[in-house]
Amino acid sequence: MINKNSSTGKTGTEKDSIASYVTSDETKLIELAKESNKQALTQLVKKYEMTVYNFAFKICRDRNKAENIMQETFYSMIKHINQFDSKSKLSTWLYRIVANHCLMEVRKEKQRQFVSIDDDESLYANSYTADYSKLPTKYTENEELKKILDNAISKLSPDYRMVFLLRDVEGLSTEETAEAAELSISAVKSRLHRARAFLRNEVTKAFE
Amino acid sequence: MMKEEISCKEVMRYVCECLAQDTSSKRCLGLKEHLESCENCREYFKSVELTIDCYKNYNVELPANVHTKLMNFLKLSDE
Repeated sequence: MINKNSSTGKTGTEKDSIASYVTSDETKLIELAKESNKQALTQLVKKYEMTVYNFAFKICRDRNKAENIMQETFYSMIKHINQFDSKSKLSTWLYRIVANHCLMEVRKEKQRQFVSIDDDESLYANSYTADYSKLPTKYTENEELKKILDNAISKLSPDYRMVFLLRDVEGLSTEETAEAAELSISAVKSRLHRARAFLRNEVTKAFE
Repeated sequence: MMKEEISCKEVMRYVCECLAQDTSSKRCLGLKEHLESCENCREYFKSVELTIDCYKNYNVELPANVHTKLMNFLKLSDE
């Protein structure tokens, strides 16, 4: 999406040429953003707003909180874009920012109790009895399944939720997940396999 | 009997560890071999994958007014 009419003080031709090359090259877009180019910043925000909003929603399961976290995330991005050193992907850097804002938000709910999934014995001592053929095929449109998924992931502590969502849902590599969640690789792996097993068990139980 | 149970339990754990990891590792190769011969573990593997797919496919729309509020908050122009 090219933004041709923003008020950067440039002529129409200059604006068009900036927009056309920055959309095709994120590195140039970041360079311009570091110079406070509003058109470049707008392009970056538009490129990642859906990802950031969805990730915040998936952690908090609340649209209002997701909206606030998205605003804080992009405010932080604009404020600190000069500190981004391009050693990692911009998306990984943004995931780190949004993850921090999400954790701050979730930790406000101090009274919340999350289930403990540190005991492998009980985590894996379940049966193979689930009948997954009962799962609706059009699951994205199924409100009942959405409630089950919301309920299951809400029981997980935010740290486990974060790793599962970054690695499995957002598709980051183990290394990128470790960077975004500020954890060691072994901590990511350990949390990930427990979160997967726990969620699988919870979703299965709901369909028994 | 006992030995087989433990073996399947280990497989359940490895399924969760190996999913989407380096499938050429020793452990993942061992896992693949076990899955070929054990229907229960195959079902477990599929159910973990399906659970992940459910979460992957559960996305929310970004409402237009939320986008507008974001641009206003950041003092960026959307036009």
